[in-house]
Amino acid sequence: MIKLTNVSKEFLSGDTKVKAVNAISLTIEDGTFASIIGKSGSGKSTLLALMGALDRPDSGNIEVGGQDVAKMTNRQQVAYRAKKIGFIFQHYNLIPNLTALQNVMLALEFGGARKSDQKIRAEQLLDQVGLKADKQSRRPGRLSGGEQQRVAIARALANRPNLILADEPTGNLDSQTGRMIFDLLHSLSKTEKTTVIAVTHDLSIAGKTDQTFRLTDGKLTKTA
Amino acid sequence: MGVISRGIHNAFRNWVRTFAIVVILGMSIGLTVAMLSARQAVNQRITDVKSSIGNFITVTPAGSRGFEGGGEPLTNDQVGQVKSLAHITSVASTLGDRLDSSSTNLQSSIDAGSLGSRQGNFNARQFSSNRPDGATNTTFTPPIQVTGTDSPTTLQASGGGTINLTDGTKFEGSSNDNIALLGKNLADKNNLTIGSTFQAYGTDIKVLGIFDSGNAFANNLVVMPLASVQRLSDQSGDVTNLVVQTDSIDNLDSTIAAVKSTLGDAADVVSQQDTSSQALAPLENIERVTLLSLFGSLSAGGAIILLTMLMIVRERRREIGVLKAIGATDLKILLQFVSESVTLTGLGLIVGLVIGVLGSNPITKLLVSNSSDTTSTAMGQGGARIAQFFGQSSQGLQNLQASVHWQNILFGIVAALAIAVIGSALPAVLISRIRPAEVMRSE
Repeated sequence: MIKLTNVSKEFLSGDTKVKAVNAISLTIEDGTFASIIGKSGSGKSTLLALMGALDRPDSGNIEVGGQDVAKMTNRQQVAYRAKKIGFIFQHYNLIPNLTALQNVMLALEFGGARKSDQKIRAEQLLDQVGLKADKQSRRPGRLSGGEQQRVAIARALANRPNLILADEPTGNLDSQTGRMIFDLLHSLSKTEKTTVIAVTHDLSIAGKTDQTFRLTDGKLTKTA
Repeated sequence: MGVISRGIHNAFRNWVRTFAIVVILGMSIGLTVAMLSARQAVNQRITDVKSSIGNFITVTPAGSRGFEGGGEPLTNDQVGQVKSLAHITSVASTLGDRLDSSSTNLQSSIDAGSLGSRQGNFNARQFSSNRPDGATNTTFTPPIQVTGTDSPTTLQASGGGTINLTDGTKFEGSSNDNIALLGKNLADKNNLTIGSTFQAYGTDIKVLGIFDSGNAFANNLVVMPLASVQRLSDQSGDVTNLVVQTDSIDNLDSTIAAVKSTLGDAADVVSQQDTSSQALAPLENIERVTLLSLFGSLSAGGAIILLTMLMIVRERRREIGVLKAIGATDLKILLQFVSESVTLTGLGLIVGLVIGVLGSNPITKLLVSNSSDTTSTAMGQGGARIAQFFGQSSQGLQNLQASVHWQNILFGIVAALAIAVIGSALPAVLISRIRPAEVMRSE
């Protein structure tokens, strides 16, 4: 279960303090596919970064699987990110000089997987997300946007995380490919029994998730 | 793919940039190796010069200068005391004597001329009281000078020039035989050849060798073993000149002091330290230039790799954020960048060693050439004298040879590694400061 209690985060924008996340409390059960919607600058990505231990809140508690992420040491946060969390980004953020296979193996290496298992597991994952074998040895630059996002999803799943955090996973894709990627995430959340939280602008996609949260100016305004 | 191989792999992400960095770094490392080799060659030459030029001390009886002045000769005992002093590598003893018509059948090859007559008249006035007729005018015949030496190989001819044998052989320094080397002019004047004999000190002296010293005065000399001259001239144990060689010019002052202290007022002690210091000046200039260039090229190499790594880290800021987001530790990322830095410097090292091996000698010669020109211009006559000094000793600056030894290669490797690590240090700080959340903000 993921439980946020009064989580706040401020940033300095010039001389002005901006409250990106303002006293948010929410609960998401394990295995849920949840979406966070809101306008640009509403604090969606910041909330995702806080849940993924990419940043620390100024106040509040973030419990993931019974552990308070905000109170972890840096080393614990690194291990948490490597083993418990999978990230999917809008711009895929694959390492450009590594092949699709090597990008997935990279996450496995950081997660502590044995060297001998890394390649087998990475090939399985890429097969699972629908990237054909002949494309697995290609570098990201020679893959389409949809294919790159599939590689990113495989990388996120590499260490069998409890939680997948997806920041606008379809935002850079055409609607058809976006739907395919969304369906893939949806089915994976069910087959892998993984909690998925996706930030999106697309209300049609958000409408298909188990739970939807709307953020307005850093505040949680609606839960569905 | 491990962290190290990923770093090596990353070094080739941009071939054009990698090529440019490797070439520039190679030039820097190559210059470092070349300067190190040049410096070693110059240092070796300085050591050689210090141990062979200007490190001579001339010791003569106090008040004596050849047959001018007066005083008492030095003795074998005093020579022994000098030989036992520290930093002395050799002592050459000589005893000067003169032969005239009453003691030899040799005819001098030098005509008296007006200068000889002047000398003859002076001698006649000075010593007229000794003449039974009290006459002050006389016909002067230049005497034949005899030099007894225990070091015929290093002997400098009285009056200048070296004993360059043109025929026959030199004698052993320890010889006590009635043998001699004759100046070319003296041998010609008396129709003497190798193996023929002449009369001196009432005995037959065999001609062992004939030499040419390049001047008429020295070519009128007779050179014999020291012991023979001491014995034949009844000057047993007497020495009129010592040439003392020290192990280095650096020890010249202390050795002069020691010799003076040992012999006291009995001897005059002089050296040519100023001349040798002037001779060393161009070498020391080159040494300074090579040292500065060495540090300069090393610093340039460090700066190149530092700026390159800074540029790369800034360029891959988002990528570092992604790596952190998917669970990479700062150490792993740092190792990856160090590995990339070491790969670049390693390639630069290979290029640098090639440049260093090929360039050491030409660079050294260029430095020497510039330094010699500058020195000659700046020192005028002194510079020319130094060039002559070096030329004569066959240790000329132009002959300076620099080669890359394995120590230089080892230094190059260590320097390249140091450059790589130093070059990664600042980027490492930047890496540790990049927060994984930045990958979200850049979306």
